[in-house]
Amino acid sequence: MPAGTRLFLAFATCVALASAPLAAAAEQGVTADSIAIGAFGPITGPAAYIGLAGRDGAAMAIKEINAAGGINGRKLNMTFEDDGHSPAKALAAAKKLVDDDKVFVLFNVAGSNGTIGTIDYVKEKDIVMFVSFASAPGVTWPFAKNLFRGGTTEVPRYGELYAEYIVDGLKAQKIGIISGREEYPKNEGDALTKQLQKWYQITPVKRVEFNIGDKDFTPQLLELQQANPQVIAFFGNPAEAAIALRQAKELGLNQPFFVGTTMVDQGLLTAAGPAAEGATGFALIPLLPGSSDPAMKAWRAKWSAEYPNLPPNRPNIFDVLAYADMYVLAEGIRNAGKDLTSAKLIDALENIHDYRVGPIASPRTFAKNHHIGNLGLQPMQVRNGEWVRMPWQSKRPSDILQRYQ
Amino acid sequence: MTGRIALQLALSGLSVGSIYAIVALSLAIPFKASRVLNFAQGELVTLGAYIALVLTSYGLPYAVIVPATLLIAAAFGLLIERLVIRPIVDAPEFTLVIATFALGLIIRALIRIHWQDNVYFLPAPYAGAAFAIGPLRVNPSYLVIIGTTAVLVALLVLFFARTKLGKAMRAVSFNPIAARLMGIRVSTVFGSAWALSAAIGALAGLLLAPVIGINPELGHLISKALVAAVIGGFGSLGGALFGGLLLGVLETYAGAMFGAAFKEIIPFAILIAILLVRPQGLWGATHARV
Repeated sequence: MPAGTRLFLAFATCVALASAPLAAAAEQGVTADSIAIGAFGPITGPAAYIGLAGRDGAAMAIKEINAAGGINGRKLNMTFEDDGHSPAKALAAAKKLVDDDKVFVLFNVAGSNGTIGTIDYVKEKDIVMFVSFASAPGVTWPFAKNLFRGGTTEVPRYGELYAEYIVDGLKAQKIGIISGREEYPKNEGDALTKQLQKWYQITPVKRVEFNIGDKDFTPQLLELQQANPQVIAFFGNPAEAAIALRQAKELGLNQPFFVGTTMVDQGLLTAAGPAAEGATGFALIPLLPGSSDPAMKAWRAKWSAEYPNLPPNRPNIFDVLAYADMYVLAEGIRNAGKDLTSAKLIDALENIHDYRVGPIASPRTFAKNHHIGNLGLQPMQVRNGEWVRMPWQSKRPSDILQRYQ
Repeated sequence: MTGRIALQLALSGLSVGSIYAIVALSLAIPFKASRVLNFAQGELVTLGAYIALVLTSYGLPYAVIVPATLLIAAAFGLLIERLVIRPIVDAPEFTLVIATFALGLIIRALIRIHWQDNVYFLPAPYAGAAFAIGPLRVNPSYLVIIGTTAVLVALLVLFFARTKLGKAMRAVSFNPIAARLMGIRVSTVFGSAWALSAAIGALAGLLLAPVIGINPELGHLISKALVAAVIGGFGSLGGALFGGLLLGVLETYAGAMFGAAFKEIIPFAILIAILLVRPQGLWGATHARV
C-alpha cells in the first residue's frame, strides 16, 4: 500500500474514531444524562396568567419526573423564555431556545397570539413543538408532523361546540358576541359566528370588539343591550371578562353569558364575584382547580407546597394543563427509547392513546393523521359561586375532525 | 343613540377621565415645582395599589389603609427626589426624563420579582351593587372615583392658594432664583412637590385597584395622563382636570360610536387638532393658573 494511501486511511480512521461519540449523541439537546426542553410563554403583560401558570405547572411536573429518576436515565432540564404575548417576541424566544440553547424539544405554554409567530419557524427547523394551550388553528391545520397540541383543541372545533351548545343547550336564537381583537378571542368569535351561520343559519344580532387590556366595556355592553340578545358570548381574558360581567349586571343586562374556555376557571369567580352567577362555558379539564374532588384537592395541596406564596386564584387551569402536558411529553420521550431522536419522539407521541397523568387531566390521544390531543370538553355553569358540570353532550358530528380522516 | 345611553356613556367616561385627571394632576405638580416630567408616575400609581395590598394582608381596616398608603407613598416620593432627582436636577431635561423613565422600569421590575404578573384584588367598603338614578345605572365605585377627584382638585386649589407651602411651590415654579432670594427653601419645595405627587399617584392606584385588580401594569396610563395634561394646558391643575375628563368622555364615546379600534385613534386625533389650534392647551392661556 503506498505511503500516501496509508496516511489517508490512518487520517480517516482517526476522524471516524473522533466522530463516533458525537454520532451517538448527535441529537440536539440530548446528552448521556439530560434532555434540554425549551419552554416559552407570557410571564409579563395582560396574558401573564397563562405563562406563569404554564411555567410553574411544567416545572412541577419536571421536578417530580426527575425526582423519580428521570426518563431512561436522563433528567429533564427546562429553559424558559418570556414571550410577552407577542408573536415577534415568541419567535425570538423560540429562536433563542433552538439556535442558541440547542434544546431538543419546544414546550409551548404561550397563547395563540404568541404561538402564531413561531409556527413557520418551527416547521422550517423541523423541531418538535408541543403546544399546551394555544388554540390557533395553524398549530394542527394544515397538518405538520412536528407540531402537537395538548390541552386545547383547534379553535374551529370550539366554534362547533359553542354553536351547538348555545343553540341546542341554551336554546338561544338571538346571540350577541363581545370579543377581544387579538388572536385567540378574535378566533373564537369568528369560529362561533361562522358555525352559527353554517349549521343553524343564525347571524349574531350584534358583534362588538374590545382592545386587550381594556378596563371599561360600557360602550360595547350598551350596544349589546340595544340588540337584546338571548345569550351574550364573551371571548377574552378572565380579567376583562370579570369587569364586563360586573358592568353588564350594573347596566341591567341580565342575559346569561357564555364565556370562552380560558375563563372557565376559579379566577373568573374570584374577580367577578356574584356577577359570574349563571355564566356558562366549556372546561378543558375534568376537574377545575377549585374542585373539592379528592384528586384535585391532593394535587392542589402538592402545588401549594411547591408554590406557597402565590395569589388565591392560583393554581389556575393553565397550571393543570401544563403539568399534565409535561407528563404527556415525558411519556412520549420515555416511549421513544434510549436512543432519543425527534423522529422517534414523533412516532412515540403518535402512539399515545388515552394517556393522562391522573383524574385531574383529560386523556390525550394522538394519531398519525392528527395531533390534537384533547377533544373532551365539558360544559360548565356557575351555580352558587362554583363551576358545576352541565349534563349536555354534543350530538352533531364534527366537520373539523372529519378533515383529518 | 338614545338619551339614556348617552348619559350612561358620559358617566362611564367621567369615571375613566377622573383617573386620567388624577394622574395628570400628579404629573403637573412636580413639573410645576421642579420642571421635571416624571415618567415613573404610572409606576407610582401601581406602587400605591401594592402598598395597600401589603397593608391589607396585615388585616388593617380600610380607614387606616388609605392614609397609611398615602403617607408611605409620599415618603417614597420624597426619597426619589432626594436620591435620584436632586443630584441631577441641573442636567438637561432629556436626561431627567430618561432618569424617571428608568426609575419607572426599576419599580415595575422590582414589583414583578415579588408578585410576578399575577392579579390581586383589593376589597373596598364602597364597592357594592349598582343602583338606579332615574334611567341610569350607577356603580358606587365610579361615584367614589368622580367624587374623590372633585374633592382632590378643590383641596389642591386651596392648598396652592391659601397655604404657605402651596404659595411657595407656586413661587418656585415661576422663578426659583427669586423664590430663593425671598427666603423660600427651594429644596424643601421640590421634595414636598414630589411627596405630594407620589401620594396623589397612590390615590389613583387605590381607586383603580377595586375596579380592575392589581398587577404590575395597573399604572400603565401615563400616556393618557400626559395627553390629558397637554389638552388642558400642561402645568395647570384646572387644565389637568379638564383634560382628563374630556379625554375619558371622548374615548368612551369614540368606542361606542366607531368601535374599539377607534377608541385609541379619535382622542389622539382630537389632541393633535387642539394643539394645532391652541398649542398652549385648552386651559393654558385664557384661565389664570392655580
